[in-house]
Amino acid sequence: MNDKNSWSDQWFKAQQQFVDAWSDMAKSAGNTGNTSHADLWSQGMDLWRQSMGRQQQPDVELAMRKCMDMGKEYFAMAEQISKSLADGKQPIQAIDQWMEQMKQSLQQFGGMPGFDSANVNDFMRQWFDPTRSWQQMVAGMSPMNTSSFNMGEAIDPLGKILSSPGIGYFREPQEKQQKGIQLALDYQQANYKFNQAFLRVAIESIQAFQQRLTKLDAESMPKSLRQLYDLWIEVSEHCYAEFAMSEEYQALYGDMVNRLMILKKHYAEIVDDILRALNLPNTREVDTMQARLQQLRRENIELRREIGEIKAMLKRPSTKPVAPPAPADAAPAEQAPVKKAAAKKATAKKAAPKKKASKPNSTAGA
Amino acid sequence: MSNVPFRSDQLVEELVQFNQNLSKGVKNLIDAEEISEGVTPREEVYAEDKLKLYRYQPSTGVVQNKIPMLIVYALVNRPYMADIQENRSTIKGLLDGGQDVYLIDWGYPDQADKYLTLDDYINGYIDRCVDVIRERHGVDKINILGICQGGVFSLCYTTLHQDKVKNLVTMVTPVDCKTPDNMLSHWVQQMDIDALVDAMGNLPGEMLNWTFLNLKPFQLMGQKYVSMVDIISDEKNVKNFMRMEKWIFDSPDQAGEAFRQFIKDFYQQNKLVEGGLKIGNREVDLKKLKIPVLNIFAEQDHLVPPASSKILPKLIGSKDYTELSFPGGHIGIYVSGKAQSTVTPAISDWLGKRSK
Repeated sequence: MNDKNSWSDQWFKAQQQFVDAWSDMAKSAGNTGNTSHADLWSQGMDLWRQSMGRQQQPDVELAMRKCMDMGKEYFAMAEQISKSLADGKQPIQAIDQWMEQMKQSLQQFGGMPGFDSANVNDFMRQWFDPTRSWQQMVAGMSPMNTSSFNMGEAIDPLGKILSSPGIGYFREPQEKQQKGIQLALDYQQANYKFNQAFLRVAIESIQAFQQRLTKLDAESMPKSLRQLYDLWIEVSEHCYAEFAMSEEYQALYGDMVNRLMILKKHYAEIVDDILRALNLPNTREVDTMQARLQQLRRENIELRREIGEIKAMLKRPSTKPVAPPAPADAAPAEQAPVKKAAAKKATAKKAAPKKKASKPNSTAGA
Repeated sequence: MSNVPFRSDQLVEELVQFNQNLSKGVKNLIDAEEISEGVTPREEVYAEDKLKLYRYQPSTGVVQNKIPMLIVYALVNRPYMADIQENRSTIKGLLDGGQDVYLIDWGYPDQADKYLTLDDYINGYIDRCVDVIRERHGVDKINILGICQGGVFSLCYTTLHQDKVKNLVTMVTPVDCKTPDNMLSHWVQQMDIDALVDAMGNLPGEMLNWTFLNLKPFQLMGQKYVSMVDIISDEKNVKNFMRMEKWIFDSPDQAGEAFRQFIKDFYQQNKLVEGGLKIGNREVDLKKLKIPVLNIFAEQDHLVPPASSKILPKLIGSKDYTELSFPGGHIGIYVSGKAQSTVTPAISDWLGKRSK
């Protein structure tokens, strides 16, 4: 703990000096109208992150990274507005100019194959968090780098080759590989359409934001950068929600997920074939064993339960006081049908209370 | 359009303030101690596979409800949401209200668990946990509190095993999964769940995370972190923030077969409402549910819209039905200060009257 504090104290002091220096520069820049030091903040943030290394818990590191990322995007917004202000524009014109720039920067990506949101203006990158995080997630579960097949709407030059029949002794593996590439292209197309729809809605959101500002009276107008940011979040979230609840989104998202799963399953089958050829256990075999094992466990549990009930039934007469002999014409008590619930109740009452529960039907270790 | 009333120097001042808060807060983040999973003392009383059944240490000096309570949490995310910090703990609130609280922790399923079905979870695991508690306390029936997806499981379980349940409390429980405002449901309608489970085995927790965060991406992946800078100069705030952050990203994988049936039967075919739901080989007919039910929902719930829960009284056969509407969201109903002072006392009060 001491070491950690000592390290963080030193780090903190160093960063504090940086912050103070940056703050002084920013203030003087603000007074002179030169606001390019917002860039410096952004660079400073990157340096901070690098200087921190991996000293903290993973959860903390993740939170810190997100905080820094958002700080960077927040500053990008300030930077763009302040540049326009420095040009002598009124705040509302500065905001308008900022939004027009964002719109233009997004429009250039329309229809572009291999659209990468990393190239989007810092601030508008938030709009592509869903698609970017999707890509990151998929990268961890895809059998191959599907982005290498990202061709947008370009005519598929491989189409005819991929649909040609396999020949010769290795016809089947060859066809499977061809099909795999075709499935990767299919997924990439679906992913491309999903991203392009996001791009369109992001541009529409800028227009919605401009319209929203137009409708505000003096009282409701944002009075600080934070208020402007919060308003932008509100409008963007609203535009996104409308899109996310549309039939279009449902179809695009469903198609993208479905194609990814078909692709993944196909490659799993190819890997299974290879493992079988090497006389190694493959997924199909493990699945069969797991399914059988699970069924055996269910039957085992059921048998244990039945044994428990039978034991309870057998014990029951001995816990009761000896009954007087029954009349000769009456049926013996133990031959009367015993209800399942009653038997369980007897077991429960006998066992209670206990410090540690017994495991009447436990499958632990089964 | 009115003119935006801020100036260049004001903008710089804001950035300077933001920067200073961030620099102070980053130190607090670095110094943050490891976040625990839950705060209230408890003991493990039963274990099976990856499941653990915990009993929380009862509060002293309060009148104890003689009927123990089992909390059935969702398979998605982890149950320590209900015990996230000392002054924001649903479980502590229930203990202070005299409840004897047990909780099922489902653990983290892996590929060896992918053939677990809803039948295994509901008629298997839950039923055995209920039996353990009945046996420990020498009672025929216990109270059940189901949370979110755990509420769905509790509804099914109670309908099928009413001889073992005295009262049922459902919290933020999706019943009608096809209300027009349900974004989660909207997204899965064209998804081929069979292809997904066949390809993945289990559903990865990362995929669930992606889904939940993208219900409100601007607030949950952007604004939250900008707003965090306002509060991170305070060590306590940082710790509380990190607790939530840890919970949000702590998503277990979902056992494939159970996930397959859950999405198809509940979210795609809405069988709790439309009928025809079977768990194992037993049909779940909510009309047969006759025991007292307390149904709690959150008015601003973006995961389980209120309308999804509010349909329950039309579907069940119980004549003793109570509804509690909470002015907050899906998470706020457990962690907000208001929830501590309203929701948990209301549950204990309601159960107290029905647990004689």
